[in-house]
Amino acid sequence: MMEEWIIHTIVRGLALGTPLIWAALGEVYAERSGVVNLGVEGMMVLGAIAAFALAQSTGLPYLGLLVAAGAGAAAAMLHAVLVISLRANQYVSGLALTMFGLGLSALLGRRWEGLPLLATLPEISLLTYGGLALAIVLWFVLYHTRWGILIRSAGEAPAAVDTMGVNVFLVRYLAVAFGGALAGVGGGLLSVAYRPSWTEGMTVGLGWIAIAIAIFASWDPLRAVAGAFFFGALFHLSFRLQTWISPEPLQMMPFAFTILVLALTTRRGRGAQGAPEALGLPYVRGER
Amino acid sequence: MRWLKAMLVIVLIFTFATAGLAQAKLKVGFIYVGPIGDYGWTHAHDQARKIAQSKLPIETLYVESVPEAQAEPFIEKLIQQGAKVVLTTSFGFMDGTLAMAKRYPNIIFGHASGFKRNPNMFTYMADFYQIYYLNGLMAGALSKSGKIAYVGAFPIPEVKRHLGAFALGVRAVNPRATVHVRWLFSWFDPAKAKEATEALIAEGADVFAFTEDSPTVVQVAGKKGLPSFGHYSPMQRFGPQTVVSGQLVHWETIYMDFLSKVLAGKYTADNLQNVDYWWLLAEKAVEVGGEFGTAINPAFTSKLQAVRVRTADLGQLSVYDLVMRRHAQMSRKPVAFDPFTGPIRDRKGRMVVPAGKTMSILELNTMEWAAPGIVGPWPKEP
Repeated sequence: MMEEWIIHTIVRGLALGTPLIWAALGEVYAERSGVVNLGVEGMMVLGAIAAFALAQSTGLPYLGLLVAAGAGAAAAMLHAVLVISLRANQYVSGLALTMFGLGLSALLGRRWEGLPLLATLPEISLLTYGGLALAIVLWFVLYHTRWGILIRSAGEAPAAVDTMGVNVFLVRYLAVAFGGALAGVGGGLLSVAYRPSWTEGMTVGLGWIAIAIAIFASWDPLRAVAGAFFFGALFHLSFRLQTWISPEPLQMMPFAFTILVLALTTRRGRGAQGAPEALGLPYVRGER
Repeated sequence: MRWLKAMLVIVLIFTFATAGLAQAKLKVGFIYVGPIGDYGWTHAHDQARKIAQSKLPIETLYVESVPEAQAEPFIEKLIQQGAKVVLTTSFGFMDGTLAMAKRYPNIIFGHASGFKRNPNMFTYMADFYQIYYLNGLMAGALSKSGKIAYVGAFPIPEVKRHLGAFALGVRAVNPRATVHVRWLFSWFDPAKAKEATEALIAEGADVFAFTEDSPTVVQVAGKKGLPSFGHYSPMQRFGPQTVVSGQLVHWETIYMDFLSKVLAGKYTADNLQNVDYWWLLAEKAVEVGGEFGTAINPAFTSKLQAVRVRTADLGQLSVYDLVMRRHAQMSRKPVAFDPFTGPIRDRKGRMVVPAGKTMSILELNTMEWAAPGIVGPWPKEP
């Protein structure tokens, strides 16, 4: 009985955690380079419709996810141009991207509404293990390679990176586009694996959860993965436990617990740190 | 040259004639709470709007995704655009609609699922409780574990009424079966619906019904090969072998009836104080089925015919026949059967509907008690 509970909870944690890891990892990289992107929800939902439309019309869900990555990256580029080159307010631009994504996907998605997807992926698929592997790779790149140093430095001290003769703008553009691509895959996983079907606004706030996970995991890829799976498991448990615990407080449990646990482990953990120094600030050459 | 002149005259006449017609057309405005692509409540209202527009000499306007507390400015806008009838389609629009009805006494207002009226404001609702009872009969016959699942949106009277009717149906066929409920606190949230369904599967439930605006429950159950009932939109396509039946709505029957009476001058802005459409099976405002025109998925016909039950009024018969008989009894006017006819005790054993009594519309609209057999949390249980 107990074993059944544990196994089932872990499986559910992996299932809902899979789309979240991808999106959260993307946000970790964008923010590490110094760019806050609150448009994760919008990029995810664009990824969701792109993946669904492609998978439905070609029968190839993996191709759908690839296109979802492209859609997410394209949406992220809008944000990048606005906040990196034109130095718009990152928070406002991100919120606008969320609204834009939700609106555009609703418009494009009208004809895909109410259709069962014929070619689906299992909830726990190659992309689940791929997400885990990706987290390890991204962690390694971030802390143990020259690229990682560049990305982190772009977020901590962009002027120093510039002095070294490295193009800060290019680093940030790449990090934001990469983040968008991962968010697109995360959204695509919702519409071709987790659900699998398309409905307007189907991301129902999971993009915001991904952002919260990235922040409370202290912008660390490995902690973000743990946070995503932990949230998935708690989210499932909040329904499983309704027999014994009143449902109203249970609604908050996954959110409160994930944040609490990530915050606590981050404070204690070695190598934990605050937000990147230049997070949210546009880089202007020659200014300090 | 003469034929050219004639043509010109004809064209001119047509232009003016159609312009005149357009002016005479009644403008009807709709306020929707969700996006028209929600594949649930708002989608159904919008389909009905399109049907009414195609069959009546009316012109329609609509605003989607209107926040419940902000109906007034949107109603104002529709009136400025020339709407003479404004229909608001969510419970939360009730007070805003009433306030506007008092401010614009010459405009006709309609409010769905509420209970406040005015001389120029009527109320309407297409309710599913009879359908849920029929679905419950089928669910009771199809469950092997005796555990039936219900994923509910919010623990409010409307959903409690539907759950209650469903549980009464289940128990009429399978007196020892239980209905296990999980609450989402959301009308639309596929992720919540999915995890709630997974939780119920883990607990051994093997037949599924729900209130939520996506086909998620049907999809999750179907993947495990478990039977389910669609909700609000045709969902049999999401589980051709697993969706038994479901609840479908025809708001257009109400819209067509009301608007044609407005066009005929029968309903005006002065005589709506007591106009309340509480339309059910008999009025054809709702339909039982997972797909329009299919009450029971043929894949389940023989299974339902194989289970026999004894009833007080109809003797011994198969569940399939029982569903058909009850359906016929409730499709008549006045109805020959109502699920909420006493004696009914709630799950705590309290007598809630005395013998010989049937619940009134007001009682149905304020129902808080849990029917026997329901297992799970029940906020505000008396």
